[in-house]
Amino acid sequence: MRWYVVRRVVWAVVATYLILSLTWGLLAITPNPAAEQMQFQAAASGGSAAAAEEAFEARRGLDRSPWVRYREYMHNMVTLNWGWSQSRSQPVTTAIANALPYTAIYSVPTTIISIVLGLSIGLYSATHQYTKTDYAATFFAFFGYAIPNFWFGIILLLVFGVQLGWFPVVFDSDIPFFSLGMARQLVLPVVVLVTGTIAGVMRYSRAEALEYVEAEFVKTARSKGADGYRVLTRHILRPAAVPLMTILVGDILGIFLAASYLVEVVFGIPGLGQLSYKAIIAQDTSLVLGTTLIFTFVSVIGNLVQDVAYTVLDPRIDYGDR
Amino acid sequence: MASGNDRRGTLGTAERRGRRGRRDVLKLLGATGVAGFAGCSGNGSDTTNTEGTDRSVGGRYVSASSVDAQSLNWLTIADATSGSFVTATLDGIWAIKPNREIFPLWGDYSTDDGRVYEIELRDNLEWGAGYGRMTAEDWVYMIKNVFQAQPNWSGYPNAGDWFRVNPESGQREPVPVERTGELTFEIRLFEVDPSLPFKPMLWRQQCIPKGILEKYVPNQDTKGLKQDEELNTLAYTGNLGPYTYESWERSARYTVTRNDDYYLQDVEGIPERFAEAPYFEGETTRIISEESTRLGALESGEVDSAGIPPDKATRFENLSNVTVNVTPQPYLRLIVYNMRANGWKPFRSKAVRRALAFAVNKETVVENVLRGYADVAQTMQPRWSDWYDDSRVEAFGVGDRYGPEPTRSRLESALSDTEYAYDGETLVDGSGEQVTLSIYYDSGQPTEGTVAEYIAQEFGENAGIDVQPEAVSSSTFQNNYVQTSAPEGADPEWTAGVFNGGPRDVATSAEPWDMSINLQFNTYPFTPASSKGFFEKRGGINFYGYYPEANISELYERASATTDEERRRELFGEAFGVISEEQPFGFLALPSSITGYASDVRGYDEEFNTGWDSQTWYFA
Repeated sequence: MRWYVVRRVVWAVVATYLILSLTWGLLAITPNPAAEQMQFQAAASGGSAAAAEEAFEARRGLDRSPWVRYREYMHNMVTLNWGWSQSRSQPVTTAIANALPYTAIYSVPTTIISIVLGLSIGLYSATHQYTKTDYAATFFAFFGYAIPNFWFGIILLLVFGVQLGWFPVVFDSDIPFFSLGMARQLVLPVVVLVTGTIAGVMRYSRAEALEYVEAEFVKTARSKGADGYRVLTRHILRPAAVPLMTILVGDILGIFLAASYLVEVVFGIPGLGQLSYKAIIAQDTSLVLGTTLIFTFVSVIGNLVQDVAYTVLDPRIDYGDR
Repeated sequence: MASGNDRRGTLGTAERRGRRGRRDVLKLLGATGVAGFAGCSGNGSDTTNTEGTDRSVGGRYVSASSVDAQSLNWLTIADATSGSFVTATLDGIWAIKPNREIFPLWGDYSTDDGRVYEIELRDNLEWGAGYGRMTAEDWVYMIKNVFQAQPNWSGYPNAGDWFRVNPESGQREPVPVERTGELTFEIRLFEVDPSLPFKPMLWRQQCIPKGILEKYVPNQDTKGLKQDEELNTLAYTGNLGPYTYESWERSARYTVTRNDDYYLQDVEGIPERFAEAPYFEGETTRIISEESTRLGALESGEVDSAGIPPDKATRFENLSNVTVNVTPQPYLRLIVYNMRANGWKPFRSKAVRRALAFAVNKETVVENVLRGYADVAQTMQPRWSDWYDDSRVEAFGVGDRYGPEPTRSRLESALSDTEYAYDGETLVDGSGEQVTLSIYYDSGQPTEGTVAEYIAQEFGENAGIDVQPEAVSSSTFQNNYVQTSAPEGADPEWTAGVFNGGPRDVATSAEPWDMSINLQFNTYPFTPASSKGFFEKRGGINFYGYYPEANISELYERASATTDEERRRELFGEAFGVISEEQPFGFLALPSSITGYASDVRGYDEEFNTGWDSQTWYFA
């Protein structure tokens, strides 16, 4: 397994390099709306569009050859000098360091709650199939799937923030991280994300668990006198957890890569999702690549954890001869 | 000048108080580095409420902004939000009052002939971070070594303002600037320009201590200048602005605190309300990208001001804790006709354009689409502008100058010697097919989509032309429709840049198009001659291929060069009359700027460009 992990890590480095190069290349060939806007403004007020473009390029360092820019960027990536964010006027590392805690503070509780609640309800549903509780859980799961996070977030804000005044409408980054005030303003974002992610975990865990509920070895365990809890955790959850790992890792990445942006925009949380999206819009090359690296890193680690978890959970899986 | 009060359009009924944000005013002249504090603009008139005795220092003013700033280093930025953040802590030479009067801030100007301007700075201006007193040396050093540096190593976006064509050499040269005393310097223009004080090169122009610039000028160190700690944290602003930088948490909030040493407190001869300015203990701009959240924050009282879209304005007008202010802004919503080879050729005819001007009911656009928060547009100036001469402007699309009969009869006559003709109520081409035209609008602007749909409907019903609305992103529109060039191998007689690549029969955009409403054009109500490029065959912005029949640019030039205010007004009035007569565009409307304020915010008034004294706003 060790050799397998080493090879996976090496491949991850190559993949990271390819992703960074591709992202850089795409940004380099994409016209910049800000530059176009500046040119139009300059020409509209009697100035020179060409001079405005030159000034823009000089300011952004775009007047150097693409090869020089690419080489410098890759060198900076390797030396952990991630450059200067043009759109935020601060080092890229500072921008990421400032944003990460805000993403973590809602995504960690979201992940924990989603997994714990999702698994629990899913397993309960599997062992209590076609009961009213199972139907209720199924309804909840489909509701969570169906409702768009973005819209749901706005509705919650309008009802519980504006109308009822139970929660603040605007996220206040001034409030200490580990305080009741912070917890209060994170309730709505966490609820929105949990409804979106819990459904997946719940439905998959229910489906996977159902495969084993009537399995021979489960019946055997029961006949040997194992109690319900032991049967559930040792004989049903363990084999079911192997395919579930894929879902769990996918969900966590989903929170980081997609849901984070939607929730951060609606609730005004200055986290990684907003940082990355705004960097793309502003064509802030250094920052786009810096945040891309973070996402790539999270994906790579996530997949690694997933593969390692397979081998731990299911001894039948052997990577030695791959 | 008329103030432009009650900007719910001339058709509106509700009396409203008006306001102009500094950011918007800034866009008015195309300047981006010297804007006002986001969402915080004050009134300009000495009305009873602004001179009342209840004005006292207290409270923190919180505004909502949809976008964050890019930098606080104003030399390197071009976006309005960044400019507005800086202006909270750094004034500028002077402001312009709503009645087009100069209000001296750091200094004042004098001129005898409108060509040589002497700028005199106040004697109580102090830099922060140990840079001492602000002197003329700081200004001259900055202008010569940064603004007028060749190449433009700093990337200062408005450097072009400091160069003009020298009639003697025929070349574009740096405008001569010399220090004439410790606190005075002189700008010697090549030609008379009485509008100079209203142009962004001086209006609200800010400065940087020579001590900071000296570190980067000798080696033209662009990177060093961009990343300078003192510039990026506004450490040098001293007593030069109403507030002092406190913190900037990107994507979340920008905070400034009251500057107790604000220089305007010690200046004589200015209105009394400046004596203790500013009146807020501090100001915070919250960055809230999502519109619903922003409006929710305004409604719940978590912010004191936020912009409101037209379709939500009525709801906020009914809230007791919010006051809605509707004020004019200078951008025109208009139909641009493509007169180039890849557009509909008949647009080249003035008679056709005039006929089509009868097809769209502008009052409906204003009342129904823009919900009354706009004025009808007839020429390249708003009606309230100092330069708008009602007797010269020809109105279209209103009253009896609108409808199917006047449109069709005029269009038929205008197209009489072409292949186009009416087949019943349908305009058909030589092969008997109905004329079908495209109209492009910004895919990110739902209101624009509605306007496009309405225009399509009106053209269909009144002109018998089938119009197909097409949505494109602003970036795509700029690239594929606005940028024009001659095909490879062709050698155009002339070219005027990326937005006018040459004669209309040779240079075209990459994609064909007939009409568009994607771009709104600035009318420049303070310096109307700035729109000259829109009306010249070889103008820098003529992507639509308009060849004027009248010499509009000459009228502009004559008006710009005269020092006689009355004569200037006459000439501009004539120019805008000619423009309305030629109908280079389908003028539609001038949408208003709508802002909601917490009901206890005082100080703003009903004027256009009232953001010049926002430091005197207060909480009741």
